[in-house]
Amino acid sequence: MRTITVQRCATALTGLLLLSPFAVAQSAATATPITTTASSSEIAALPDAPVPVASQSAPQASQPQTSAPQQSTPQTTPPAQGNQPSLSDLGFSQEQTQANAQLQARLNQRTHDLKVHQTLGLITLAPLVATIAVSGGATQKHDRNTPGATPVEPSSAGVDLHAALGSTTVAMYAATAWYAIRAPKIPGTKPKGAIRLHRDLVWIHGPGMVLTPILGAMALHQENNNEKIHGIASAHAVVAWTTVLAYTASAVSISWPLHLKFWEHQ
Amino acid sequence: MKSLGVILLVATAVASAHAQNQWTLTQSSITWHITHPVHEVEGTSHAAKGKGNCSAGTCDFLIAVPLNTFSSGDTNRDLHMLQTVRGAQFPMVVVRTHLPQSELTAPTVHADLEIQFAGQTAHYSNVPFTRTQHGADVEIAGTIPATCSDFKIDRPSFLTIPIHNEIPVKVDLTWHPQ
Repeated sequence: MRTITVQRCATALTGLLLLSPFAVAQSAATATPITTTASSSEIAALPDAPVPVASQSAPQASQPQTSAPQQSTPQTTPPAQGNQPSLSDLGFSQEQTQANAQLQARLNQRTHDLKVHQTLGLITLAPLVATIAVSGGATQKHDRNTPGATPVEPSSAGVDLHAALGSTTVAMYAATAWYAIRAPKIPGTKPKGAIRLHRDLVWIHGPGMVLTPILGAMALHQENNNEKIHGIASAHAVVAWTTVLAYTASAVSISWPLHLKFWEHQ
Repeated sequence: MKSLGVILLVATAVASAHAQNQWTLTQSSITWHITHPVHEVEGTSHAAKGKGNCSAGTCDFLIAVPLNTFSSGDTNRDLHMLQTVRGAQFPMVVVRTHLPQSELTAPTVHADLEIQFAGQTAHYSNVPFTRTQHGADVEIAGTIPATCSDFKIDRPSFLTIPIHNEIPVKVDLTWHPQ
């Protein structure tokens, strides 16, 4: 039974090794960014615009007149009518005012891919937590009250469950990474804000997701040979926990800062 | 000699009147604000440009700002905003208003706005703006009570909860007479 488990792990690891280095490198390059003209320090230095008094006393005064706004065609420079200034008077470049259907398509594809990335990433947390929860059933038990006693071996079912959940986690992680990799890059944008930390943490949880199952398989192999877990295999738990923490931090960082206002009506 | 003096006087008066009839936007801060149960986010642009022409007692103002100049401090969010509001297909927000010239001297300016955004046009009537004189320049500040539904914007969601429909836009514009 143990031999079969080792073979399963080895198969899963082979697939992972093929995917992960690429995933790690590409995820870092995926960092998504934007062209901006105002730095955050400039924004922070600006005072808030005063809130109009009349809008509070008569909020209905400034409601939009048309509930069904008109659809317009992609923006062009409309001709000035009489005294009215036109868009061409303002001095924007054609590049700024020209519609770009190709860019819109890239943005749409990017949003789609990153939504899938987000969903899969959150779902991946479930097998990740489950793998940790059952990890106790996959390790040797030592009787601390009886020094020198033979450690109690974990059950095959416990080891198999831990390995299966771990493999599921790794497979889902790879799928999550794939959607970040395939999301189109938007030219001329530099990463800024929470996305930078989210991207940089890939360098921790990416290698961690590769190493953890390898070390787990090595540890299992040593156990099957009735050896005490030794060498790099003994780092399995440490690497796993580091990976879990980095992955969780990555998920939280992309949404940071959080302002909990669940009690407010929409 | 006397007639030359009169001509010069009239010419100066005409030139002066013409100068006060045109306005140029010199400084701007335009900020959108979104609310979500776990997020409060703002994005600001200082790249708006505008002109105003006044004649026969009425004024026409035009303000435009490229959508890709708004920054929330997070490029990932800014790109998502651009996608959501169809910012590559409709890269500019264009605001037009037509108001009596006498409104320009009132401490609170009530403007009827026509806003082109995300491929839609919406009208907001009687939007109040505070007016502050800084020497020759005039600062106009207020909040436009925009909503996602006004512009048929599909509200982005996080953890399956969409943002609030209200996306108030704070504007602070400094105009210089020419």
